Amino acid sequence: MTDIGSSLGYGFIASLTQVVLVAIGGPLLMGLMAKVRTRAEGRVGAPIYQPLRDLRKLMAKEGLRARYSSVVLAAAPLVVLGSTTLAVAISPLVTTHPLLSASSDLFVIVYLLLTGSITMALAGLDTGTAFGGMGSSRAITIGALAEPALLVAVIALSIQARTSNLPTIVADTITHPVWTSTPTRLLALVALVIVVIAETGRLPVDNPNTHLELTMIHEAMTLEYAGSDLGLITLGAAMRLGLLFTLLVNLFVPWGVATGSSVLGLLAAVVFLVLKTSLLAVVVSLIEVHSAKLRLFRVPELLAGGFVLAVLAVITELVTR
Amino acid sequence: MLSFLALAIPFLMGVISLVVPWRRWIGWASAVSAAGVLGIGIALCIATSSHNAVTAFHGALRADSLSSFMVVVIGTVSLLATLQTPRVMSQEIAEGTTTPRRASYYVALMQAFITCMLTAVLAANLGVLWVAIEATTIATTFLVSHYRTKKAIEASWKYVILCSVGIALAFLGTVLVYFAALHSGVGTPGTVSLNWTSLMAIAPHLNHGVMRLAITLLVLGYGTKVGLAPTHSWLADAHSQAPAPVSALMSGVLLTVAFYALLRFKAIADAALGPAFPRALFIVVGLLSLLVAAVLLIAQRDYKRLLAYSSVEHMGLLALGAAAGSSLAIAAVLLHMLGHGLTKSTLFISSGEIAHAEGTTEIAKIKTLLARRPVLGGIFGCGLLALLGFPPFSLFISEFTMARAEVDVGLWWVVAISLVCLSVIFISITNHARHFLLGGDSSVAVPLNARSVVVPLVAALAASAFIGVSAWPLLTLLRAAAHVVAR
Amino acid sequence: MSTSFYIGALELATGAVLVCAVMTLWRRQVRTIVTMLRLQGVALACVAGVLAWHEHDLGLAITALLVLAVKGVLVPWLLRRVIRRDPRSRETAPLINVPASLVSAAFLIVVSYVVTSKLTALAPSAATRLVPIGVATVLVGYFMLVTRRRAVSQIVGLLLVDNGIALVTFLLTAGVPLIVELGSTLDVLLVVVVLQVLVVNTGARHGSFDLDEMRELHD
Repeated sequence: MTDIGSSLGYGFIASLTQVVLVAIGGPLLMGLMAKVRTRAEGRVGAPIYQPLRDLRKLMAKEGLRARYSSVVLAAAPLVVLGSTTLAVAISPLVTTHPLLSASSDLFVIVYLLLTGSITMALAGLDTGTAFGGMGSSRAITIGALAEPALLVAVIALSIQARTSNLPTIVADTITHPVWTSTPTRLLALVALVIVVIAETGRLPVDNPNTHLELTMIHEAMTLEYAGSDLGLITLGAAMRLGLLFTLLVNLFVPWGVATGSSVLGLLAAVVFLVLKTSLLAVVVSLIEVHSAKLRLFRVPELLAGGFVLAVLAVITELVTR
Repeated sequence: MLSFLALAIPFLMGVISLVVPWRRWIGWASAVSAAGVLGIGIALCIATSSHNAVTAFHGALRADSLSSFMVVVIGTVSLLATLQTPRVMSQEIAEGTTTPRRASYYVALMQAFITCMLTAVLAANLGVLWVAIEATTIATTFLVSHYRTKKAIEASWKYVILCSVGIALAFLGTVLVYFAALHSGVGTPGTVSLNWTSLMAIAPHLNHGVMRLAITLLVLGYGTKVGLAPTHSWLADAHSQAPAPVSALMSGVLLTVAFYALLRFKAIADAALGPAFPRALFIVVGLLSLLVAAVLLIAQRDYKRLLAYSSVEHMGLLALGAAAGSSLAIAAVLLHMLGHGLTKSTLFISSGEIAHAEGTTEIAKIKTLLARRPVLGGIFGCGLLALLGFPPFSLFISEFTMARAEVDVGLWWVVAISLVCLSVIFISITNHARHFLLGGDSSVAVPLNARSVVVPLVAALAASAFIGVSAWPLLTLLRAAAHVVAR
Repeated sequence: MSTSFYIGALELATGAVLVCAVMTLWRRQVRTIVTMLRLQGVALACVAGVLAWHEHDLGLAITALLVLAVKGVLVPWLLRRVIRRDPRSRETAPLINVPASLVSAAFLIVVSYVVTSKLTALAPSAATRLVPIGVATVLVGYFMLVTRRRAVSQIVGLLLVDNGIALVTFLLTAGVPLIVELGSTLDVLLVVVVLQVLVVNTGARHGSFDLDEMRELHD
């Protein structure tokens, strides 16, 4: 009993750590990426914790809702935030034994993220404005190609580890370092980088700073939100970014994740995770600096290419086992 | 020694025509080299008549009865085609459609083409066979685009792309056969080779799954070169745009040489898999070719394309005969190869003459040909009669024998379908021929002066008629050749 | 050479061949496509070289050098000469658009894996297990041949088919007898020479060589 109790307790503490870390770290990541970008452009730019300040400002304001909106508009921020928090809680970010680790399956995480995306798209449609609908349709187009690529790429990894349970994949990769250099991993890595860029709405798929009608995707869906609602949505988007980046990092470079049940290991894992994710964020930001935004009908080409690379990863894994 | 000579003569002729600038005598010399090849072919037939094979170069070249027969076919049709060279080239140079340098290239490429075909039939190694057939594609591409018109270049583009893809598939099939041989469990890796004789020896031990895949790829791959459906679309374009003697050679022999390759591989597949699977494959492509030819011949507007689709039909018939696989069937197939070579080359050469005289290749624009140009129209008409399978021409007897052999094996339904298709083709071709050969009031008849056209063509038709009536000179040869690959 | 290094190098080179094939479907710039073809030739030569080292086969080593010279250097050089004559250097309107082509390529890769299982079953080894990748390259090349309009893209499709078949040859049988290999590689070279001559000649005489405009021959 004590084992279960202690493991449950450990899992609870670990998941709580993860949620707090991603909730604070997500906006910090966005700030870091913006800082790298402005520095590369030769400007000084806002400090890294600026998104946190913006969130604090937004949460203090009143959340106005359009008159003819329904419960979807009201509920969407909570659903997005809730699903992302749950996904963060059960993912193997700082430990390979988070809460509910037996349910921490690849498909569960992807569908939690998908729940958030679909709810956002529905909320964009809810007010009946043109921009919202346009943003929703674009987001779903991108999602329709990005989701299969994401699933297939992680399936390639799960074939290698013979399970689709994410914490187990991470743990097995730690114990088999030679897996990291197989062609399968390389192909899956490229495919996942493309998917993550698409899902988090970074360049070259979507410009996070734009407010031009022709180029908005995520911004179009959130146009009707204000105040605390917008704050919740922004926090949800930031946590989504944080989750995707940390998952990407942990699936391919998992060393530093705590495998045991010690608090010290947990703290060390937090430090390692921050370091690895910051490095990834800098790399992605540099990719952003050097690429122009793709025209919308070219985005499916990029994502289809990612899909093919993911299929290649699966076939390579099947063929070389 | 004989086999080596068969290759050396056209090769040397090709080199000579490249080195020496164009003169009329070079054209006649190329005809002499073709006659030499024919002579060697006959000598080889006599040498291998006792079921022995003649080898040269430590077994790299191997001539058994089948190869010798193929050399005879190649020699005959090459003779017919190269006899046209002096006249055609001089005509074109005089009219300005060709330069003397291009005429030299023409002769050289024709000789290279003939050399490659001879290499293909005399090679002992199936890999070398493949290389030779690939080489013919390259040689003929430039021949097809000889006139350098937009249509000719489009035709040669289509030809080289489609045939290269087909040949690549055939290579994959050959590699799969080699793979099966390496892992057949018989013989050490050092002794396994792609020689046809050694493959036939170990054929019963070849893995079935791999061989099925291999023979399918080979039928699709070499079938592209033969002009079997579904990869036949290059035939009509290439054969209609090429100069007439080139079309004669391609339609008359090249298709047949590619079919020879299929016969060799089918023998291995029959020994490895039993007759059922290869037979089914050949029936499918054969019937498909017949159907495609029948449908496309109904509304043909160009008589050269008509002849090309008729080649598709005859290749389909060859495939059906090979599907039957018995000794009688294969003998009929070989006779059909010879007859088709003679007839088709006659038709193409005379069609070239008609196109040159009338200035167009469209059926609708030519009328009353028989009245206006009796000799030319007469040759073409007789050629069409021969093509349709009228007695006394040899195509009648070969088609009849193939049908009988197929019924003997139990493929009566195949015979029924092919007869329906042949009837449709008969009606279409006769209809088209009627349009441009017959009719009209008495116009002034233009005589045809060129003996180099009339004499060989009439001789070819006469030979075809002679063979159709009496198979005497060929009976033993056909039996021996069929015995090599029949079951 | 240790076994794991041999297997790793073989897998990497074979995978590179297929990735290059997919990239030729993906990219629109004809120059990039030709670069991918060059990389593929080099990867193919590496496969042959690794196999030659492992089997201590001199003939295969010579073949590897030949493949490198022809497919890695000569053929891309010839293709560049074709491109230089052609002012339009982008594949702008393929018959099947790029995302659909890529998804079809993924489907073809799965099909090739299913179809070649019998081959691998006959003689399982590290090399023959990679045969599906060669067959997938052949199918991708065939697909490109059928769905592209530019003359250069069709040539590239043909070369992909040839490269895929060469890869399958190396993996299955460690090469066929040397003379056949020689003939095969030289034939590829000659085909490209032929095609280059055709394109250049037509370009000089009749303007550019757009296959879309070549529709005069039909029934």
